[in-house]
Amino acid sequence: MVIGPLTWSVLAPLGFALLCLCSARGARWFALLGSLVPLAIGLAALGDCARHPGAEFRMLESHPWAAGAGWMVGVDGIGAAMLTLSGLVVAIATISAWNEERRAHAYHALVMLLLASMNGVFVTLDLLVFYICWEVMLVPMLVLIGLWGGEQRRYAAMKFFVFTLAGSVLMLAMLIAMWNALPEGQRTFDLRLLMTHWQLWERTAFLGMPLAAFGFLAVLLAALVKVPAVPLHTWLPHAHVQAPTAISVILAGILLKLGVYALYRLAWPLFPVQAIQWAWLIGLIGVVGILWAAWVALGQRDLKRLVAYSSVSHMGFCLLGLAGLTVAGATGGMVQAVTHGLSSSLLFLLVGVIYDRAHHRNIDGFGGLAAPMPRFAWILLIACLAGAGLPGLAGFPGEAMALFGSFTAGGPFPWYAAAATLSVVLSAAYLLWMLKRVAYGPLTHHEHAAFPDLDARELAMTMPLVGLIVLVGVWPGPLVDALRPSCEALLAHVRGAVP
Amino acid sequence: MMDPLHLLLPEAVLAVGIIAVLIADMLLPAGRKSGAGLVAAATCAGALVAAAVSGRGPVHAMLSFDSLTTLARPGILLATLLVLVAGRGEQRGDDGHPAWAALVLSVALGAMITAAANNLVTIYLGLELMSLAGYTLAGWRAGSRTSAEAGMKYVLFGGAASGLMLFGMSHIYGLTGHLDLDGIGKALADGMPLSVLAALMLASVGIAYKLAVVPFHFYAPDVYQGAPAIAVALLGTVPKIAATVALVRSLVMTVPPDLAPPALVGWALALAAMASLVVAAFTAIASRDAKRIVAFSAIGHAGAIILALAAMPGPAPVAAAAFYLAAYVVANIGALVCLSVLERERGSSDLGALVGAMRQRPWLTSALCLFLFSLAGVPPLAGFLAKWGILREALHAGGEPGRSHLTIAALVLLATTAVSAWSYLLIIRAAVLQPSTDQVRPPRLAPGVVAVLTVCAGATIGLGLWLDGFAVIARVLTGH
Repeated sequence: MVIGPLTWSVLAPLGFALLCLCSARGARWFALLGSLVPLAIGLAALGDCARHPGAEFRMLESHPWAAGAGWMVGVDGIGAAMLTLSGLVVAIATISAWNEERRAHAYHALVMLLLASMNGVFVTLDLLVFYICWEVMLVPMLVLIGLWGGEQRRYAAMKFFVFTLAGSVLMLAMLIAMWNALPEGQRTFDLRLLMTHWQLWERTAFLGMPLAAFGFLAVLLAALVKVPAVPLHTWLPHAHVQAPTAISVILAGILLKLGVYALYRLAWPLFPVQAIQWAWLIGLIGVVGILWAAWVALGQRDLKRLVAYSSVSHMGFCLLGLAGLTVAGATGGMVQAVTHGLSSSLLFLLVGVIYDRAHHRNIDGFGGLAAPMPRFAWILLIACLAGAGLPGLAGFPGEAMALFGSFTAGGPFPWYAAAATLSVVLSAAYLLWMLKRVAYGPLTHHEHAAFPDLDARELAMTMPLVGLIVLVGVWPGPLVDALRPSCEALLAHVRGAVP
Repeated sequence: MMDPLHLLLPEAVLAVGIIAVLIADMLLPAGRKSGAGLVAAATCAGALVAAAVSGRGPVHAMLSFDSLTTLARPGILLATLLVLVAGRGEQRGDDGHPAWAALVLSVALGAMITAAANNLVTIYLGLELMSLAGYTLAGWRAGSRTSAEAGMKYVLFGGAASGLMLFGMSHIYGLTGHLDLDGIGKALADGMPLSVLAALMLASVGIAYKLAVVPFHFYAPDVYQGAPAIAVALLGTVPKIAATVALVRSLVMTVPPDLAPPALVGWALALAAMASLVVAAFTAIASRDAKRIVAFSAIGHAGAIILALAAMPGPAPVAAAAFYLAAYVVANIGALVCLSVLERERGSSDLGALVGAMRQRPWLTSALCLFLFSLAGVPPLAGFLAKWGILREALHAGGEPGRSHLTIAALVLLATTAVSAWSYLLIIRAAVLQPSTDQVRPPRLAPGVVAVLTVCAGATIGLGLWLDGFAVIARVLTGH
């Protein structure tokens, strides 16, 4: 049996997780290696997709299991981009937790387990395996927040677990109902085959509605909890505030993207009719999230809560872009998913940096940090500007494309786009105001004068992100080119469902 | 006709073993009484071999060794063997009386008889044998008030349940003139008058009691909380296997087709299933004792099994129930063996007493978490695939005209999954997430406990990957 590279992107973290358990001292090195391997595989997959523009899945591999399920893996441009992002973010999170001393072996092993399950979601083409990986990641996350988090970590961890579990149970019913609806002998979980059967889900009745409608709602619920979209976002500020820095980075950098990915990979292809019918609602949820979370972020006093709400706000652009069903919008939504992974990771890392020094995150408790920590202030400036969507930095292309797409889409979408544009002002306001209060002005707390600036390790974890933020901001072409063919194919499939 | 008694070989081995354990107790010198436990384990293993080689067929319209029995017997014996092996390490000291092993074997024998019974008399005999031995096991800790209370509650509730059951059985006999299920089925073939329906419902109380299905569940939390964890591991699993088989067999053989699932009986089963799931999920989250939480979860799992049976007829729902039972049994025994070790060391299974378990016994507590996650239905563990099977059958049958209540029941199962996850997390929070400063190195685990936990953990992971399992079990059931 030949094991292909995409399978290794799941197996390698699992293997390194076992190695982490064996040695507390070597665990961080194993974890770093375990995340660099998927990063390399993701980069190779991205390169492969770039060389062969098109929407078909590459690096395919298939090992049948039973009952129509199997280990079927393959990536398109979006899968490859997500895989790369997850390797990168976990590598950086590992560096940020380099000095973790409390049960380091268990900590890094759990992060590896988390990475394996996230990669499983990104590479699999099998609905059952997708669901399994989707659920498995709750377990390491539960323990990581619950053991290494802040004061109220246990409550936050359990709330996260039950909230997201409740969000996805309906997906299981959908999975089984779809399997039952297929004629005997053709039963499969292969997503590529399932999406060709979309008319069957329309015809099959389930609880007095078409199975397609139920399935769409089920995926939507699971995805919106993960994204998280207002009003299903209430677990996120809790989880973020209580989680240790590295886990916040993973949570914001990858886990939230899984929701968008589920919409892109499951909801739209499997239920195209509903994707058109309910577009107005999803767009509305996106806009409400963008504005509401930005508004709430303005009032936050805790740095982490502020960044958490800014995440909720920025993820709204992914929903808005996808819902408009235009190529520019959908591509922009996915670009936003990737670039927000970079900028929010950076913001959480920086929050972690000052928390390590001051042991609190209260915005009012800082001031003038630029004097003792000039490098920190520069990087925070770049992160804030990227978050505010300044052209030339990574935050811009995704938001701009999502807005362009919405303006050209029909129905209420131009109005949504007009409203969402307001958030550019709001996000500039809350981020730059925070920047001003924390980094600039006179040094308000004299004990802060002794704070050391970023050391080599902290530069090693932030500089790659800064570089990528500038690179993608100045030259978004390659990323957009990698994502666009898949979005085009998806929209062609959705539009094909219009009678 | 050949004498059918050779079919009874596994039961005979058990019966001889029970006597052998008691004799071994008399003959062995005072310091070496634990040898009786070895005899018991060997008996169980011998019965397992006998069950594997013994044939099929009926025994005088009293017992029927069909494909259901073929599936149930190894399950019962394996579960008993696991409890015996784990109990050997745990039952030293004042509990180390060899009669304990004899009682465990008696429960197994009763379960085997119930699982093979196709006659009201043998069903009753089997259930009573299980119960009488079970009452003693629940109240085993002589000095403990809670254990005595558990035994007493078990006796009182159990006595009432078997009284109702006998009452119903006598009515059935009076109305149909038959005691064997086959004869009852033939007498009812043209329809079921209300009187017989009422009698059948009364008669099923005994089975519902053993399964701990709502509304016959009230004893379970108190008995589980008070009884020794290792006894709970036995009483929560082996009788459930037997009762499920008895229920399936009576449904298939006696209930006339127009009342069988999908009709009235199916409705009753689905209602009981939903009630069990909801009651278990919502009461468990208010509990503050690990064994009590496991007890409520057992009620919920019984509900899931009943839900599968409501999706009958056909071998597929029975296969789903069998798979569910297997997943439940290994995870439940595993979890309770872990809890029995912790309970013994910490003096209580109260959530507050479990704090720091992870620090003291990382491997044991990790295993406990594995079992709890399986019971909660987290993939890719056995509990997930088991739930998957039940949902598949319920949704499949729910798609048939007039059976949409099964679809609702399936959604109830899903909703309660999320709710009951919280209660398992309560145990995990106490054992893993709560900080503690305990640094005491505990003694090494008994090898029996290690072996049982390894087997249970392996089965929990292995069954979770055995997607083919449903088809294989269905093939065994249909005899192909």
